Amino acid sequence: MTLDLFKLVLQLTLILALCRVVGSLFRRIGQPRVVGEMFAGILLGPSLLGWILPNASAYLFPPGSLGFLNALAQIGVIVFMFLVGLGINPKELKSQGHAAVLTSHVSITMPFVLATFLAILLYPKLSDDSVAFTSFALFMGSAMSVTAFPVLARILIERNLLQSRLGTVAIASAAVDDVTGWCILAYIVVLTRSAHSGTSIWVTIGGIVVFSLIMIYGVQPLMGGFEASYEKWGGLSENRLAFMILMVFTAALCTERLGLHLLFGAFLMGAIMPKEPKFVQYVLDRFETVTVTLLLPLFFAFTGLRTNIGLVKGPEMWIYCGLIVLVATVGKLGGSTLASWLTGMPIREAAGLGTLMNTRGLMELVILDIGLDIKVISPALFSMMVVMALATTFMATPLLAWFCPDQLLRVGLPKLSSSESPLPASVVGSSGGSAA
Amino acid sequence: MSTHPNRNFILAYILLVALPVVGMIAVLKSGRKLGAPISVDGLWHLQVDATSLATLPCGKTLAENPETALAISQSGRNFTLTLANGPKVTASGVIESTTVKASISPSPEWSTQAGCGPDQGLNLVATVDAKANPRTLSGQISASHCSSCSAIEFHAVRQNPPVSRGLH
Repeated sequence: MTLDLFKLVLQLTLILALCRVVGSLFRRIGQPRVVGEMFAGILLGPSLLGWILPNASAYLFPPGSLGFLNALAQIGVIVFMFLVGLGINPKELKSQGHAAVLTSHVSITMPFVLATFLAILLYPKLSDDSVAFTSFALFMGSAMSVTAFPVLARILIERNLLQSRLGTVAIASAAVDDVTGWCILAYIVVLTRSAHSGTSIWVTIGGIVVFSLIMIYGVQPLMGGFEASYEKWGGLSENRLAFMILMVFTAALCTERLGLHLLFGAFLMGAIMPKEPKFVQYVLDRFETVTVTLLLPLFFAFTGLRTNIGLVKGPEMWIYCGLIVLVATVGKLGGSTLASWLTGMPIREAAGLGTLMNTRGLMELVILDIGLDIKVISPALFSMMVVMALATTFMATPLLAWFCPDQLLRVGLPKLSSSESPLPASVVGSSGGSAA
Repeated sequence: MSTHPNRNFILAYILLVALPVVGMIAVLKSGRKLGAPISVDGLWHLQVDATSLATLPCGKTLAENPETALAISQSGRNFTLTLANGPKVTASGVIESTTVKASISPSPEWSTQAGCGPDQGLNLVATVDAKANPRTLSGQISASHCSSCSAIEFHAVRQNPPVSRGLH
């Protein structure tokens, strides 16, 4: 594989231009930019460009050139996962009331359980005998139970709902969902990779536990140095920022070497960073521009190049696709709504919470990408799940407006600009940002 | 003694979280008995008599590339097939038990070079030996819309076969 620099820069130019244009168009219809960028990625792949202009597609994205594009995209996702971990505050997980505890746990278990039931139908149709049913079903469960924390927070900020009961329960539940979802996914990856490598699963799990303990009890206290330096100088030197990104990559390498995945190390590194809001905001600002505007669109494009809607052919396959969207929505939206309603939230507000929890966004694509890489899901199922991710993210904004009109939720709430938000703006995306 | 709200919370938690999890564990256990289509995903090294293959319409270009391999991308019973190191083709096929069937349609360029007639292509029917390690394919390649052409025997061996993923 030789590097064709002209082709790579041509690909980058095309991807960035299309993502900006489609992202802007989606913003005009009230959707988060990220939905448009995800859609733009699919337009560049075999589902549209490769279908209507196969020669142009073969020229622009020859198979031999995709390795470089993927490498850049994966670096973007590593940094993004660090930012996601950075945005998660353990205090939110600890300080939950009964309502948030029940809502968050039901919003994981309902879609998870329904997905395992659906796996009974889909496994014989869309998988093969090299994949264990347990891995297949658990993967389907974790992919359906994920919530896109950044998109959710972005919608709450846009509607001035962060400090409402709906907002606080949604943020806490989404944080729990993300942490739990990634833990389950980690288990599936370990299960799959240990079977592939021949290494005992207990050796891998033991290594990961030791690594996590070192990170939490050994490395985390040292991270306070970054915050102290920020407070003393009002910022971090280039050397310190470089050291921080070095730590992220080192943690990513450790988890990859342990048989997990690069992304888990990056996420854990972000999770153990200091959580003082101004410091978090500062770090996010430093990394966001390049990640969100340059590298993540490459990930959307790479995912789009692997998504072939043409594989979903015939009424039977479209019925499976519809079932996936239905089960994901009923499990997540229905489960969260039911739980929050049972704990005393008015039904419309509860439905609004369920809608927010049902957004999956980029987090879903990251998980699906891992599933396709380790071949737990087939290309056709991957395409169906991408459709589900797009559909559930797309439906969030209009459904929320329908369930929870402004006058219903803003009564008594202080006006809150995004600069006053208790969440760092970069986690949720600036107005021009991606809110991935 | 627990208060009323606490009791409701515990009850709701049991009904909405604990019981579904128990159900899920039961599903995971019973699902282990399910069967899935035989795995043919991966790269298959093709072994075929090039001289015989060259006599088939559309077979000439394929015969000129001794390093040609079949790249199969599987989704359940369906798969798509491309030729690694070979001419550009699009093919799709189905798996029925251990039998693999595919229709290979040459690209316009290949069609011209290989002397294919209109709508002509290659058909592939083979049986997978699931017990062999690595898995093998044995079957026949024939030309479509050519009653006078005889089928050519072929054999293929999977390279770097994927091992079982996860605990069954």
